[in-house]
Amino acid sequence: MGMKWKWKQNKNGEDRGVPLLFSIILVFCILGVVVFSVSRKITAEMSASAIQNLSESLDLIQCTIEAILRKEAEFQRFIAKELVVIKDPENYIRTYETDQSMVRISLIRSGETEGVSNTGEVFSEEGLDFSSGKTIDGLAVSQSYLNYMGTWAYTMKCPVLKDGREIAVLYIEYVFDAIDRSLPEGFYNKRAMLYIMDAETERFVLKPKGMGERSAGHVNLIDFYRANDIVDETLRAEVGDCVANGKNILFYHDIRQKKALNYMWAVNDGAIYLIGYVPVEAIQQEGRTVNQNIFIVVAVMLIAFFLCCVLYYFNQREQIRIRKEREAEREMHNRQLAEALQAAQIASNSKTMFLSNMSHDIRTPMNAVLGFTTLLATDAEDPAKVREYTKKIMASGRHLLSLINDILDVSKIESGKVVLSFEKFALNDLISSVDAIIRPMAKEKKQIFHVEVTGIRHECLLGDETRINQILINLLSNAVKYTQEGGNIWLRMAGLKQRSDQYEHMLIEVEDDGYGMTPEYLETIFDAFTRAENSTTNKVQGTGLGMAITKNIVELMGGSIEVSSEVGRGSLFRVEMEFRIPEEQINLQFWEKSGIRRILAIDGDVRSCEGIRTLMEDTKVSVDTVVSAEEALRLVTDGSSPEAAYDMILLDWNLPDVDGIQMAESIRKQTGEMTPVLFLAAFDTDGMEAVFRMKNAGILIRPFFVSALQEKIREMQTVETDEEHAGSAQGLSLEGMCFLAAEDNEINAEILIEILKIEGAACEIAENGQLALERFENAAQGEFDAILMDVQMPVMNGYEATRAIRALKRSDAGEIPIIAMTANAFAEDEKEALAAGMNFHVAKPIDVELLKKVIRQCVDR
Amino acid sequence: MKRGSLKKRKWAAVLVVLAASGIVACQGNGDGGANLITVEEEEAEVVSLFSPMEKTNPDADNIARTAFDLTVGMAEEKLNIKVGYKTYTAENYQEKSYDDVTLDRVRNHMDDIYLLNPDTIQILGEEGRLADLSGLSSAQNLREVVRTANTVNGKLVAIPQEVVANGLFVNKDMFDQYGLSLPETPEDFLACCKVFKENGIETPVGANRWWLENFVFAQAYARMYNGGDVEAEIEALNSGASRYSDYMRPGFEFLKQLIDLGYIDAQKASVSEAIDGEGPDFLAQKTPIVMAYWGAANAETAYGNPDFHLQVIGFPSSLGQMPVVSITGFGVCADAENVEEAKKLLDEILSDESLTVYTETNRVISPSRNVAVDCIPALKPLYDRISENVYVLGSNAGMKVEQWGNTCLIVRKLLNGATVDECMAEFDRLQDESLEEKD
Repeated sequence: MGMKWKWKQNKNGEDRGVPLLFSIILVFCILGVVVFSVSRKITAEMSASAIQNLSESLDLIQCTIEAILRKEAEFQRFIAKELVVIKDPENYIRTYETDQSMVRISLIRSGETEGVSNTGEVFSEEGLDFSSGKTIDGLAVSQSYLNYMGTWAYTMKCPVLKDGREIAVLYIEYVFDAIDRSLPEGFYNKRAMLYIMDAETERFVLKPKGMGERSAGHVNLIDFYRANDIVDETLRAEVGDCVANGKNILFYHDIRQKKALNYMWAVNDGAIYLIGYVPVEAIQQEGRTVNQNIFIVVAVMLIAFFLCCVLYYFNQREQIRIRKEREAEREMHNRQLAEALQAAQIASNSKTMFLSNMSHDIRTPMNAVLGFTTLLATDAEDPAKVREYTKKIMASGRHLLSLINDILDVSKIESGKVVLSFEKFALNDLISSVDAIIRPMAKEKKQIFHVEVTGIRHECLLGDETRINQILINLLSNAVKYTQEGGNIWLRMAGLKQRSDQYEHMLIEVEDDGYGMTPEYLETIFDAFTRAENSTTNKVQGTGLGMAITKNIVELMGGSIEVSSEVGRGSLFRVEMEFRIPEEQINLQFWEKSGIRRILAIDGDVRSCEGIRTLMEDTKVSVDTVVSAEEALRLVTDGSSPEAAYDMILLDWNLPDVDGIQMAESIRKQTGEMTPVLFLAAFDTDGMEAVFRMKNAGILIRPFFVSALQEKIREMQTVETDEEHAGSAQGLSLEGMCFLAAEDNEINAEILIEILKIEGAACEIAENGQLALERFENAAQGEFDAILMDVQMPVMNGYEATRAIRALKRSDAGEIPIIAMTANAFAEDEKEALAAGMNFHVAKPIDVELLKKVIRQCVDR
Repeated sequence: MKRGSLKKRKWAAVLVVLAASGIVACQGNGDGGANLITVEEEEAEVVSLFSPMEKTNPDADNIARTAFDLTVGMAEEKLNIKVGYKTYTAENYQEKSYDDVTLDRVRNHMDDIYLLNPDTIQILGEEGRLADLSGLSSAQNLREVVRTANTVNGKLVAIPQEVVANGLFVNKDMFDQYGLSLPETPEDFLACCKVFKENGIETPVGANRWWLENFVFAQAYARMYNGGDVEAEIEALNSGASRYSDYMRPGFEFLKQLIDLGYIDAQKASVSEAIDGEGPDFLAQKTPIVMAYWGAANAETAYGNPDFHLQVIGFPSSLGQMPVVSITGFGVCADAENVEEAKKLLDEILSDESLTVYTETNRVISPSRNVAVDCIPALKPLYDRISENVYVLGSNAGMKVEQWGNTCLIVRKLLNGATVDECMAEFDRLQDESLEEKD
């Protein structure tokens, strides 16, 4: 879903982005085209303007030069006219003072080839070429030439007419330097190059000073072409054509890698030419400026646009980031909500199923109770049936009780109210009690229950025995439940490597070869309110809370539990826990008192031998272990001396190929008849009756525990009589006793009265704590043997009543046993009860045997 | 949040700065009166210079500013004088030569300063058309050789920016190969040529139609310029008391001998241009000896980068290796429009400071005693001789018969088969003409 949404987003993003990108590119293209067009237009206009501009400048120069030439011609005509009227024209010429432009004046009489000149030399037309036919204002003008002053000059000739008849010709030589003086001092900011060329000879006759450049080609047109790299023959031909026809020509050609406008501008009908070039940038300075400004504006716009884009980009990025964060947050919330919903649904489903299960599970025994109660009423006369029914009612009742206990346990654990009570316990006792419960269950289903204990160093440990017991019972009863008839159940306890001297590190394994579990079920096995439901197991009843309780208790104890299972091959639960080792472990005096210093253990199992040695390490009793009968006999023989003699023999009943009794007898032949022999055997080993016939012999139930051994030794050393047993049984009788019971529930009160009545005891009921207090206050000394106190009662509860009773100023107020009898069955309830001053705590429903035992204990004390 | 607002502030600041600069940039030049013409630069005084060179535009691309332009630029800046360049280049041999035009222009006082060749210095000096430059402060630093060469009738009429020294360019490796020491005298030279010739070197001396006269000058004037009474001897020549042909004969006879013995290929030499003709063989080590000017040893296009051990020595003479010095110079037209400014300008471009720039740029011998040249090792022998004031002049403005051009033309006649006597007769004719002019 999430992915789909994301994909849609991307797709949308692309959909938006691509047209936007194209739009931007389009806008830029349009902008570029517009700017380019404008620039081109400006350039074209500037170019046209430059041509116009240059043309005007050149026209101006042309006009100036032509004006000079015309003035010179006019002046020459004027002199010619003057000469007509002057008496001695030759003398006039000779004495004529020239100026900067007119450098020589000469006269040749008509019909003569030589004449006079103001330079004093004989003058002839020789060296002057008027063949071009060019004129200035009607006067013939010569080709340009280098004159006597070393500068370029031209001569105009003017006929001297008298009465319309030519009497002489006046020659005046002019220098181009004179024109130079009238020309602008370099134009286009002195960047333009200007030569004057004689059209006929194509010789450059004037190069204004200071305007040249090295190798600029100042000699003639060919030199100009060479210097400026004008090699295009077509262009040259065109130029040549124009020059020949006296036309102007302007053309673009790069001069020194710069675009330049080259010109050939005819003056005086093409007699002379203005030649040169102007770099385009010199003419188009303003154009360049405009283009530069356009470029700057465009650049600024682009920068601004770019900045906007950057701003937009950062803004978008920020927005996207925020959106993504929000989306992520929302997604997380959604996920959490979904998870919570799922969890709630699961929980709801679980609880619904649990309720459904409970309904079924509770109704089933309840049905049995009610059903049998009905039958009981019918068959009240038949004692056999009555016993049968009551037995079944009792079983159903117990089952109901266990259901209720489990539910309560779970709710307590879940609400974190479980308090562990750490006390000393013996592994031996633990295993014995577990064995006592499980073995019959297994036996009923024809299953074999194996108990193995290995590598345990300390059998007396600190821990909540009840809870450990609960763990084992839960695991084992489950194993029995979920294993088919004839299967095997294993309980293994193994000592692991100690992490600390103060703790026994233990692995408890419960294995079966039963139905096993599916991987899916394995995942939820430790969750509350689940139960393996399938066709094979649905006939098994249970709360489905056992595993959850077990796991919680294990974890509460700092341990860990794991399970592996395969359908049809069985399951294996592994519990790893550490138990604190109590400081006073060993009762060394016992061994001394018992006179046991050396023990020989004969066991076919090596691990069992090791276990015995390990457990006996701290007792200071020397233990020799052997695995074969031969070796045992050898040791016994060797140890026949009083110092080396064994004080006790532990003999494996199932020693291979050896009969236990015979073996014992063989040993006793060496050690003497009085040496105690204890046969190590499993709980339900058959054929051991012979042992009881042997003197000083007994059976020690496997697994081996020191405490069990001690117990056995004590048993063997103490002769217990049947009478004593009977006495102790009598000691539990409540015959003749009288109790004050504080109980607000009438049915409970009645049941209590009836039970005590059966036991021969009387009971007076007070309906609440207050009444109980008052009754006791008013009672005679010794009237009541004990007070049975309910806790939850109206007016005054049990705790308050107890405190009040203990506070009474009666001599027996502090001594009278007060026994809590309450449905508040938890450890903390017990603690609170004791704290209130009660002596014992008995949980409802009342176990008559337990109650009797407790009362006796209190009263005897 | 705080960081975000800081960022925003920064952006705002940037935008404000941009806006401000935009507004400032858009403001026009508000000041100025009603007159829209911007103030024109005051034009500096213009001194016109006539030379074969055009001024280099400092902004022109790919044009290296010449050493001369650099010094002119320095002077212009210092004196606030503009130099207007004028030039003339003959289109062909039928047109007037640069020297002809120079003479016309000086005589018509068209320009202020002229770059003059030795013969025009002599002619114009004689005509008294050149101003006396001996009063310039830069003239006080001149080497004697320069002063002597450019003094006409007691007036220093021209001063050059460089002393052009000619010498023999020899392939030292080839001399060493044949166990020859570098020649001091004409006899030594002949002996060396003989050895080369015998060893299969076809033409031991590479020559062109321009520079063979150096051999003549070295032998003709070695004694006069080195220990002789120069003034008296020149006076004797100018007055006709002694004959140029007497001075010139040993050199011509020596050249004739070289030609006759096949040490010089006269036919080839008579049609060869300088360096173009003999250069390739010399660089290819087929010819062990050529003659050239000082700058050829520095120029990549000439003999600047040979594959052998190059040495530049003087021409053989009775006084040993003899550099031949020819001197051009800048002269000021005595009747020019801006004589004083021209003199000032000249004084500036000939100052030690300017000449140092010139010398360092072109690596030539400076006319100033105070400016030394850091010459390449190949030129050291020649430079040492000049430093010791051992040289002969290829031209002397004091001599009425122009030496450099005339001798060149007469040597060409020798190359073309004239006898030594015929050549000497030519000298006598020139001397006689000069004597006639004087009269």
